[in-house]
Amino acid sequence: MKLEKAYKQVKLDIAETLAHRKTQKLKTVVLGQNVKDGLIAKLAIFALLTVIAFLYVKPILYMVSTSLKTVADMIDPVVGLIPRELNWHNYAEAWRGLKYPEGFFDTMTIALFGSVFQVFTCALTGYALARLKFPGKNLMFFLILVAFLIPPQLTIVPLYMIYSELGWINTPFVFLVPALFGQGLRGALFIIIFRQFFLSQPKALEEAAKIDGASAFRLFFRIMMPLAAGACLVVFLFSFVWYWNMSYEAALFLSKDFTPLSLRLSSMQMELIGNRAIDFSAGVGQDPISEGPRMAGAFLIIFPPLIVYLIAQRWFTEGIERTGLVE
Amino acid sequence: MNGKSSRRRQLLQFRWKEYGLGYLFMLPWMIGFVAFVAFPIGWSLWNSFNQVFITSEGFKYTWVGLDNFRRMLIENNAYPIILLTYLQEVLLIIPLILIFSFVVSLLLNEKFPGRGWMRALFFLPVIFATGQVIMELFVQGAGELPFMEQYNLDVILRQYFSDTTASMLLGVLGKAVIILWYSGVQILIFIAGFQTIPKTVYEAVRVDGASPWESFWKITFPGMLPFIGLNAVYTIVDLFTFPFNPVLEIVRSNMFSPTTGYGYASAMAWLYFAIILLLLGLTLWLTYRATKGRGELR
Repeated sequence: MKLEKAYKQVKLDIAETLAHRKTQKLKTVVLGQNVKDGLIAKLAIFALLTVIAFLYVKPILYMVSTSLKTVADMIDPVVGLIPRELNWHNYAEAWRGLKYPEGFFDTMTIALFGSVFQVFTCALTGYALARLKFPGKNLMFFLILVAFLIPPQLTIVPLYMIYSELGWINTPFVFLVPALFGQGLRGALFIIIFRQFFLSQPKALEEAAKIDGASAFRLFFRIMMPLAAGACLVVFLFSFVWYWNMSYEAALFLSKDFTPLSLRLSSMQMELIGNRAIDFSAGVGQDPISEGPRMAGAFLIIFPPLIVYLIAQRWFTEGIERTGLVE
Repeated sequence: MNGKSSRRRQLLQFRWKEYGLGYLFMLPWMIGFVAFVAFPIGWSLWNSFNQVFITSEGFKYTWVGLDNFRRMLIENNAYPIILLTYLQEVLLIIPLILIFSFVVSLLLNEKFPGRGWMRALFFLPVIFATGQVIMELFVQGAGELPFMEQYNLDVILRQYFSDTTASMLLGVLGKAVIILWYSGVQILIFIAGFQTIPKTVYEAVRVDGASPWESFWKITFPGMLPFIGLNAVYTIVDLFTFPFNPVLEIVRSNMFSPTTGYGYASAMAWLYFAIILLLLGLTLWLTYRATKGRGELR
């Protein structure tokens, strides 16, 4: 009898411990050992981020939706983000207004060649700063930092004077030549990235190659550059996207003939408004007739870098960590 | 004696061979720096003290001393007002971007499903932040925060601030989303920064009984200070070509204006640079003070 009671008691105890363990386990899953790793916390983080992200990308959704709307849809306040019918007419008009193939070619010339030149020269400079010994190295590194901090407003007047003397205005040379000499768009930043990257590489490889009698150039092109392929890709992608999006320097140096897409957008806007005598009382921006083509044009401009981003997204978002820029 | 000096010469020769290689690698950059940075800056400084005319033989200079600056500051004093308004805006934008990117990167640093996609999403604006495209979006009013109208912020702000300050604040809030689009790179830098704080430190303070709140303020925040400084500098540099930066446009329009010309435009750019330099100096000084004895800014 007593034994049975004791047995029952033990059984109950075990069941209780097991149940307790189970709830404990559940608790750790839900709440986490640390406040941050629980399920609830994760859900909260996810929800919060989703809300912020929606606000963040709303202008893009707005752009895409407006570009697909008809004028009737645009005026109708009932129609929100989703148009009643898809209307591709805006894209046709924007394609014509931007002279898209021509503009694409012009922008591509700057972005592609500018980036290639930048990768090459910045890698060369970054390698010299990281590995080679010469007097004045620290001074030069300091100058590179200074070059990064100088506003383009300061140099844009004399640069215009120089370029117009050389007859480079309205040609791609205004961007390609500085890129070739390491002074392209944010070239200083790229030099710093390459320098950090080469500094983080082990020296043994170079020493081995040197002992085997490789010349410095051979060493650089056959060993260091392939090693830096990742960093090169990151720099290339960033440079490409920044060149593609550059508009203020371009507005000054490339005002006609050879014009990138971003400038064509503003001239297209002028044309659209000029063609139709519209009522300005609504404000230029709210004009429903030209709004669709303009948004379509804007989307056509961002489309190529968007494709690049879709393919190479990983290198963009992990690039900064991977090149060791931040240490 | 003779052997020693020849040995020394050989050493020198060897050294210079090495140095020569370094200079050879640096050569493109050095040419570029002189041609596209140093020379333009010098010329721009020279221009700012001159009246520059274009004649058929080329540029003609008349030394006017500080007259360009005097005209800009005293006679047609629209420019300093624009500059100061923009400076106010910048001082508002920088903390906005820094806080936003810090919070978002803090959230993105946690582990949860779909983190990679979220990171990709927050970086997306960097991909298409073209000046003109952003202008288009702004003109359409797409950058407004949704709660602005809801809470009648317009009226509230005008009640508590002077008219110019209120309209500046409203202007910044009206394009808040677009301003926050300029935090893509900053978020990445912060995320990379979080990786530099070793996990063992967090474990240690947890064992010592620190709450997550305490461990954030005692460990994470001080560890991130250099990155906050770095991001502040990056943000200032990024704002040079910000689509709403009026300075570039003003400099350009004055370059081609018959009454002002290159000299006056250069003087304008130098005034802007002076203000930026002050801002950068302040940022670096603050970062240095805050991180004293705890490593340094890159």
